[in-house]
Amino acid sequence: MSDVEDVPETQLEIDVSDGAGLEDEDDDDMEQITAQKVLEIIETAWINEMCAPEILPSQTDMLELMVSQVAHMEEQMRDLDKNDFRAVVHSMELERVRYIMASYMRCRLQKIETFTQHILNQEESREPDDKRLSPEETKFAQEFASNVDEYFHKVATQYMPNQQRGEADQRIVTPNLMSHVFLKANVAVPAVIVGVDDEEVDMAAGSQHIIPYQLVADLIQNNQAQLI
Amino acid sequence: MSRQTKMFGEKAFDLLKELERSSQTIPAFDDDGVRQVLEEIKAIFEENVAQASSYNASGDRSLWPLLNFRHAALQRNKRCLLAYLYERCRRIKALRWEFGPIIPGDIKQALCEPEVTFFNNYSKSLAAYMCSAGYNQGLPIDLTNNLRPPKSLYIEVRCMEDYGKFELDDGEVIHLKKNSQHYLPRAQVESLVRQGILHHIA
Repeated sequence: MSDVEDVPETQLEIDVSDGAGLEDEDDDDMEQITAQKVLEIIETAWINEMCAPEILPSQTDMLELMVSQVAHMEEQMRDLDKNDFRAVVHSMELERVRYIMASYMRCRLQKIETFTQHILNQEESREPDDKRLSPEETKFAQEFASNVDEYFHKVATQYMPNQQRGEADQRIVTPNLMSHVFLKANVAVPAVIVGVDDEEVDMAAGSQHIIPYQLVADLIQNNQAQLI
Repeated sequence: MSRQTKMFGEKAFDLLKELERSSQTIPAFDDDGVRQVLEEIKAIFEENVAQASSYNASGDRSLWPLLNFRHAALQRNKRCLLAYLYERCRRIKALRWEFGPIIPGDIKQALCEPEVTFFNNYSKSLAAYMCSAGYNQGLPIDLTNNLRPPKSLYIEVRCMEDYGKFELDDGEVIHLKKNSQHYLPRAQVESLVRQGILHHIA
């Protein structure tokens, strides 16, 4: 993943046009893979995010690259004849990419809205490099939390007896990390502990399993396995 | 005393049941019900405070279960009430996604004033997020579009009301008249479909 992030943006922009075949076909194989790779990473992140019960680290960099690529492709599409077959294919592809990005962000927002306080507390205890929310998402989460609190306060809690008002910590909604998920191992992972009695299972590359999320959370973050 | 014929927490539970059973997008805010629950909470609390002080003074253990029971009732009331509000919150949020930043007039009547404030604030933070989600491109990403996976670029729509002129991204102007049918790019007319101005025909 890190090798993709290091690729300068200008180069990536060339990739898209090449990969999409909007310009002459003088494409370089390496570059084409890079452009593809960004989309692949986003797709995986999107599927993982949809399936995981908790919020996963945000793919801000990848999204940023993708947004600029989409913008760039749109620019090029404008010069293309509307009835050209390629134009139809490309705009369909763009639509799909846009849907994936929007759906990915929506999914994250939904989790933020549901587990607001829990996520904020967790973020606070994390190191700056370890944060799972992008700055924009953090801002949204904080605004949302105070918003809900204000509403509760105005309608109900301010009329309650003093001692009953607090206890906000009782209202924290936490995701069920032990819920089962489907996953596929990307590489062979030996000796994954499953169950409470330290039972171990070896996962072969490409094998599929149903397993409580918490036991494999680190595999997913290390990209050793992905949710399906 | 009416409380002798009624169980604690009944009213609070009613609030929830009614919300759950209503078929409307969002039923009118039950001002009266909420007030009754709050009053009940207050009444239970005061009784408990009075008895707790006599318990402290006399050390009469027989009061202990009663105090605990009242406390549980109070917690339950509180929980039901907040669940009621939370569920309304959830529906109000859904409104933002469905109708955009402005609440339709008939629904607005069902909301109480703090709820309208909540909606506006929510709408504002969501808009702020969507603007920043475009990163340095300066293009806001409208997350309320692209709600469904795209199946095809163009969709066939029938116009349900006289909407007037509608300009597409490429500058083409289309006249949307009632009962006319068009074949339009899905991305650009999605919001109109959701507002019910256009109807998507298979």
